[in-house]
Formats: sequence, C-alpha cells, structure tokens
Amino acid sequence: MADVQVVPTGVYLYGDPSAAPPDLRTVAAHIKRVCGIPARVRKEFLVHHKVRDLDALARELAAARVSDLARPLPETEPPLPLALFERRQLGSPERRVSGVLYDGVRVQQILRTVLPPKERSLAFVHIVFTSRLLGMFDDADRRYHARAIVVGYPSLISTSGLVEAPAKPREFYVAKRALRIETADARYESLKESFAGRFLDFEDPRLTRVAKGYALQALFYHATGAPFCEDRDCVLFNAHWQEELLHAQVESGLLCARHRKVAEALRGGRRTRTR
Amino acid sequence: MPIFQPASEAEVTRAILHGFTRDLERYAESEVVVVGGGPSGLMAARDLAKAGVEVVVIERNNYIGGGFWIGGYLMNTITLRAPAQKVLDEIGCPYEEYSKNLFVTPGPHACSKLIAATMDAGARIQNMTSFEDVVIREENRVGGVVINWTPVQALPHEITCVDPIALESDLVIDATGHDALVIQSLEKRGLAKRIGEGGMWIERSEDAVVEHTGLAYPGVIVAGMAVCSTYGLPRMGPTFGAMLLSGRRAAEEALRQLGKTVPAARGAEPRAKPLARKR
Repeated sequence: MADVQVVPTGVYLYGDPSAAPPDLRTVAAHIKRVCGIPARVRKEFLVHHKVRDLDALARELAAARVSDLARPLPETEPPLPLALFERRQLGSPERRVSGVLYDGVRVQQILRTVLPPKERSLAFVHIVFTSRLLGMFDDADRRYHARAIVVGYPSLISTSGLVEAPAKPREFYVAKRALRIETADARYESLKESFAGRFLDFEDPRLTRVAKGYALQALFYHATGAPFCEDRDCVLFNAHWQEELLHAQVESGLLCARHRKVAEALRGGRRTRTR
Repeated sequence: MPIFQPASEAEVTRAILHGFTRDLERYAESEVVVVGGGPSGLMAARDLAKAGVEVVVIERNNYIGGGFWIGGYLMNTITLRAPAQKVLDEIGCPYEEYSKNLFVTPGPHACSKLIAATMDAGARIQNMTSFEDVVIREENRVGGVVINWTPVQALPHEITCVDPIALESDLVIDATGHDALVIQSLEKRGLAKRIGEGGMWIERSEDAVVEHTGLAYPGVIVAGMAVCSTYGLPRMGPTFGAMLLSGRRAAEEALRQLGKTVPAARGAEPRAKPLARKR
C-alpha cells in the first residue's frame, strides 16, 4: 500500500464554466465524506486567481498547443494567430475548445505560476477542471495520447478528456470504419446513439460520478505519490477504455480495501509507513 | 419594329465605365475587404453589409461562390448540418431534411441565393481580381490589399509588367480557402505563420473551424477553410455548415474590431481586447 506522506488540510476544486456536469459541489462533498478533508468549489481557475496579463498567458497557452502528435512540444515562439485565438478563449471561458490538444504538463506548469505563493503549499490540493483537451507525450510509442487527468501541482481534469480520452468500445471503431465515417459526418451521431450508455458524452449526468473518482485520484496522488490502482473495481483504476471507466466509477464507485485504508488514514489526519 | 431601344457602342462603353469606376472609387477605401468569394466570404460580406459596413469582396475567378456550387465528387447537392440550415431560411433557399439534423439542397440554388443576398445587402463584388499582397501600416498592421486583374497573373511577368493597385481598409478577411493567401503573404515577410492543415482531433472539425474563426493578425480575420491551414485544423468532408457559420463569426469579429454593435440575436460575445492590436 502506498504510504500517506502528506495530509492536506484543504482541497480546492476549480470549475469549468463550459460544462454543466460535473457538479463540483457533489464532488467536494464526496471528498469530505471519503477522506475527511474539507473541499471548496471555486470559480474557473484563471478567473478566481484574477490573472491580469492575459496577453502573456495567451502566448504561453498557444505554445502549449500540440500541432504534431508525433513530436514532443517544440520550444518555439507560438504563431501569432494561435496567441490571438487563445486570447479570445480567455475572454470566453464558457466556450469549449474543440479539436485542439494541449500538452498537459506544459499547461500544468503555466497554471502553477498563477497560484499565489500562500496557496502554493502541500497543505492544499488544487484540482482544476478545464474544457481543454490535454495530452501527454509517451516516449514508448513516440506520440501524444489524450488524458482525462494530469496529476501534479495543480492536478488537471479535462472535462473534454473524460469524454474523449478513454477509448470507446472496440466495436464502435469497427462500425465507424465499416461505415467509412470521416470528419463532421451526421452519421457519427446516429452511430453514437446505437452505442448509447457504453461511453460518456458531453452533458452526460454520469460525469459527476466519474469526476468524483478522478478527483480522488488527484488527491491520492497528492497524499501518497500514487494516483492509480490496479484493481478494476477501484475508483482509482486507470481506465484505458470507457467501459472500464464506467465500471470503476459508476457500477462500483468505491475504493478497494487497500485504498479504503489510505482514506481512513487521511480521515484520521495521520501519515503512514508500511516499509 | 425593333424590340430594344437604340444605344450606341460608345454609350454602352461609357455605361460600363461609369458603373465600374463609380464602384471602384467607392471601395478604394472601405471598412472591410473580403478576399475570396466562397461561402464563408460571401456570408461574412452579407452580414457586414446588413450591419451597414462598407464591404467589398475580391474574387479571382469570373464566377462567385467558390466550392458552394457543388458538393462532394462534383455532385451538385450540398449538405449542411444543423444549425446551419437557418442561414438557408434567412436567404430564402429551400432545403429538405435528409436525416435527423442533416439537410440537403441543390448547390446552384443555395449558391445563387447567397450571392444575391450578399449583393442585396449592399456588399460590392469585384471578380476576376486576384489578391497580390497586403498593404502594411504602422507596426506591421494590415491596412488593405494589393490587387491585380487575374489574367495579368496568368501571363509571364516579363511581358506584362502591369503594376497592381491597392484598396485601403480597416480590416481584411482572409476567406481564400485552403491557401490562406493573406496569411501566406504575411508569412513571406516573417510576420505570421500558418501551421498547415493537419489531423488533430478530427471528429470535431466543423466546430473547430467556427471556433477558431477570428482575428489572426492585427487587421486580418480568417474565415472558412483558411482557418484550417492557419491553425492546423483538419479538413472536413463535403459539408458546408462550418463555412457559413465561420463567415458569420468573421463578420461578428469584424464588427467588434470596428467598434460596432454585434447583433445580439446571434449570441454576441463581450468584446475581448485584441492582443497586440495597435493602430
């Protein structure tokens, strides 16, 4: 079992104004109930922290945009059109960014600099819900993969990633290929309907239950350094498929026995040492 | 008895000249120049003209409408996904619902209605005119376009030597399709950079085109397929809704940049301060 190294005193959840579900108040109550740590819901991260120099931030976010899935993010000045696009997005956080992948680690670095010094402490867990689709470059197969969560400081949970990152059922992709469905095809929507319930979609009421599990992954990473669990029935299971995700988060919705002990330690406010 | 009233050759020539020079004199200086007369360019021009903006469309071909005349594989039925059919309602073009939220209409009907609606709204169109370059102002802001007759561009430079002319404007809308010619001209100077069309997250391409439509450089708004190559978005299938709504979004952004009121019914956004915009 991973040891509890840090017992945080508070969790801050930052809302994504483009997404109705997940309901972060429910997620906050869940964290308090399971781990005994008070959790508070805040506005969108950049709005809450009153970022003033939006032009500079827009340039940084533009530089975090992945334009080639097969190459790690280059250290270059972003093209002006991208910076202007990000500037517009910052002015309308309620608008979801579609079709764009951002380097999750770079976005995390950018947001970390925004945190005020008094809150940049291991005593606080910051969990940012964002509509941006986040990815991480995998050296094993040399390409980016979309992620629902990027744990760290702060941890990021992508509301687009909850829907887009875990793979849909294999048969869905087979059917999609058989129908030769390419981009922007209305048949895509009817194909999705024929697989209804087997994967998450935007506005899906199950997103709140799924967000509870991801928020716990962020919190457990903060406390123990290990966000995931290998038990498919545990809400900390790192699901590759949507069906695995829905099983762990909705059908089970519980921590495994090992992680219940970690939660118990957190509720008791104590660190643990098993080795 | 002749059917038509008499008019001399010279009088006909003078009439053509009069109309042409009057128009050219008017749009030598306008608020917005739209480069490219495809669906996104026409849509932008129509909405701007309806809002009382002085706007001219530059089109390199004789015909206006770009790819809007035909759908995929040279078949002249075009498709639009909801909510883009509302534009067809606005311009009085009939259509039918092929399947849930997917609409079809004959390309010639939709295209001719859109051209007519654009001109009815008061936009001017200059066809057989090619975009050559941008007019550059202080701090490299774009302040218009350099144009020439299309046939001149087709001839060897050594035997034509026809200097272009320039049209001044507050804003230029790049609706030149896949080439993004206006952005390309800035790229040649090292002022902007296109990412080039590419696959990123292909299932959301139409939404992405509309969402990325906007100011891409001080004085330049990109619309339609030019958005794809500017931002590295995937190209889409033969469906036109994004072109129309991208044109509409471009017009809204132009109105904001010009400090004019954006029609609220279309979901106006708060005016965001444009990055690095200096005049």
